[in-house]
Amino acid sequence: MSAKPQLVCPAGSLPALKAAIDHGADTVYLGFRNATNARNFAGLNFGDAQIRDGVAYAHARGREVLVAINTYAQAGRVADWHRAIDQAADLGVDAVILADLGLLAYAHRTHPQLRLHLSVQGSATNADAINLAHECFGVRRAVLPRVLTLPQVEAVIGKTPVEIEVFGFGSLCVMAEGRCILSSYATGQSPNTHGVCSPAGFVRWEPQGKAMDARLAGILIDRYAEGEPAGYPTLCKGRFDVEGDTYYALEEPTSLNTLAVLPELIRIGVAAIKVEGRQRSPAYVTAVTRTLRAAIDAAGDARYSVRPAWLDTLAPLSEGHQQTLGAYNRPWR
Amino acid sequence: MTLTGMLFPLLRHLPEAPPSRTLAFALNLVRRRLWPDEDFGWLAGKRIRFEVADLDRGVTIGFSGIRFRGEAPPADVTFAASLADYWAIARRDADPDTLFFQRRLTIAGDTELGLQLKNLLDATDWGPLLALLPAPLRPATG
Repeated sequence: MSAKPQLVCPAGSLPALKAAIDHGADTVYLGFRNATNARNFAGLNFGDAQIRDGVAYAHARGREVLVAINTYAQAGRVADWHRAIDQAADLGVDAVILADLGLLAYAHRTHPQLRLHLSVQGSATNADAINLAHECFGVRRAVLPRVLTLPQVEAVIGKTPVEIEVFGFGSLCVMAEGRCILSSYATGQSPNTHGVCSPAGFVRWEPQGKAMDARLAGILIDRYAEGEPAGYPTLCKGRFDVEGDTYYALEEPTSLNTLAVLPELIRIGVAAIKVEGRQRSPAYVTAVTRTLRAAIDAAGDARYSVRPAWLDTLAPLSEGHQQTLGAYNRPWR
Repeated sequence: MTLTGMLFPLLRHLPEAPPSRTLAFALNLVRRRLWPDEDFGWLAGKRIRFEVADLDRGVTIGFSGIRFRGEAPPADVTFAASLADYWAIARRDADPDTLFFQRRLTIAGDTELGLQLKNLLDATDWGPLLALLPAPLRPATG
């Protein structure tokens, strides 16, 4: 039996960080209040003082704090990203999560003692890419994009000395992680450049009697009938008229839920399991952390089975009220 | 008929100005304690409305740049939810995004302003205020 993987939980605020740690997260990840991270929403994220408080809270309890600086440095503003790395190092965080090769080189050169993780936004899906990041920049952990099957994840783990982190729960997005510029089509902004997909300033929810329209920069991306579950207002999860049929032309709003394959993830040697959702509230972080903690602790037992109470907790939190094992159990390669 | 059910017909006919002013007054009282570093510049000159979904009534507040004020509609952004769901959000028993997915919480108008407010409330340490509440009303975790 492999070692128990770390549980890595999201924090968009100090109360969320404390909730994650109080309910069993081994590690919490967070971001600064700017475009250097991929959840750059108004009012979300951390200033220096809050990171300092968060790091102190985590370290006092033997837990870790990671800082996501996982967008791509933009021409003319590279200094902003360098400053974020310098600040993270000065604040004593346990690692930074980077995607941009130039930033990996900067961090490796400037802060040789700083642990580096390769972000999911780095889009490294094979051992060669991960090993290159390890050899060039000393990357110690890589977060795999949510596009690999379980046998593929196992194959990657077998061919790299780098720790492998995978997603365990949370909203899914279209399968072009680190390369998606779909929202630029409507807004001119995308996760990798501005740190945000569907910036709130472009989003309008318009009541239409009992129905509700979702618009992004004026483009109608969905219309929810009365009582129909809503999702995040992203283009990839919109319903579009394609040759006379209106449907989820790209993908349906849905959440990843890996409770059923936790023993398998542990067996193949995954080092860490990550929860999506820095944009969510402390209530979400509490519920998901507590559930994943219980499940990971139980998954080492040969008699492990997914408890109905866990599903009852996670199901209502899921976007679109659907859950999936995602690519982990797909037959295709 | 529940107590709330009996009160609804009455509440529906009450003016909105007194509760709006009361909320603004309360916010001015607790502002420094709860949000010592927040200048609310993003709220200056804007109005936010909280509607009680089943009641068709609500409160509207604004920020002058110095103080919160009771206002009248229309607002720049309007939230709507049941009283029970507002209370669950305030106690951190419910996740606002979850209620939004379930169509129990709606947000109309300036989404960015609404998100800024939601994230401020998520980031607020209610400890200093909750300590004043009777124990049964306090959330499990501050």
